[in-house]
Amino acid sequence: MSDNRPKVLVVDDAATVRMYHTKLLDDAGFEVAAAANGLEAVEAAMSTAFDLFVVDVNMPKMNGYTCVETLRSETVGTPAPILMISTEDRPGDADRAYAAGANLYLVKPVNAERLARVARMLTSGVAA
Amino acid sequence: MGLVRREQQPAEAKAAPSVETLLRQLDDPDPDCRREAALGLDGVAEAVPHLLARVGPETASTVRDALLTTLAAHDTTEVAEALAIHLASDEADLRTSVAEALSTMPGSVPAIIPRLIDDPDHDVRVMTAMVLADLAHPGSLTWLADMIRQDPHPNVVTAAVDALLPSLGPEHTELLRDAVRRFPDDPFLRFTVEAAVG
Repeated sequence: MSDNRPKVLVVDDAATVRMYHTKLLDDAGFEVAAAANGLEAVEAAMSTAFDLFVVDVNMPKMNGYTCVETLRSETVGTPAPILMISTEDRPGDADRAYAAGANLYLVKPVNAERLARVARMLTSGVAA
Repeated sequence: MGLVRREQQPAEAKAAPSVETLLRQLDDPDPDCRREAALGLDGVAEAVPHLLARVGPETASTVRDALLTTLAAHDTTEVAEALAIHLASDEADLRTSVAEALSTMPGSVPAIIPRLIDDPDHDVRVMTAMVLADLAHPGSLTWLADMIRQDPHPNVVTAAVDALLPSLGPEHTELLRDAVRRFPDDPFLRFTVEAAVG
């Protein structure tokens, strides 16, 4: 049976965050996959057309900003919206995310309603 | 007896560059050369200040990783204190790489953990939880438990909970439930604790 739900890739090195965001987005009607770092995310994006990426900043191997830059590069070239969520709330963090290619930057913790609302907004053109 | 043709002598092994040469190469425009120099200075105590000075300004991640690898092998308080400054960096790559390096320095990092746990910047405390997650030291779990019990910022507490999860035992159940009671409006913390202890 084909799954027409929008596909989301949750990228976070913290297992609990991956589980939490996966559950919230699954409950909100998304098909969710997860990656533990930027490298895994790039690999997943090369083989699957995701409709949304939810990306952490502080991760080993490849941090979130580099991950987003790579997702936007010619190598991967994903047009999908990218939501960055991080504990970092210094003044320059959001600017850095947008410069890398993110569509939106939120500071943790993000509650269920807000995450679902933002995810729906960012994927509003995708059939569900 | 016939003449035996002598085997050609192998080319003379290239002499290893001197410490002075390697220190000069740390400023080479070629990142590969800088990386080789950083790795070549492994175990050279006099190179430590030079290596430390280049961690922040270095833009090539391969070179930075080499600098950190060489520095972490020294595992001295001087190195730990100098690297820990970068946990507050605005550069994600730098702070996460430094956190990874610090987590491999069980000889020196424990001495600076109490100060990092009390750092006024909660982002530094979050990074400290990341360090403790992988630091092979008997005090790591106690420090993480202290962070969960006392830190006033929910993101620090959740980072500490996440770091503690692989070592979670029944003795931590009440600690985690107390954390939820301290931050009743944090849904992520509640989810994490419920997932961990039921």
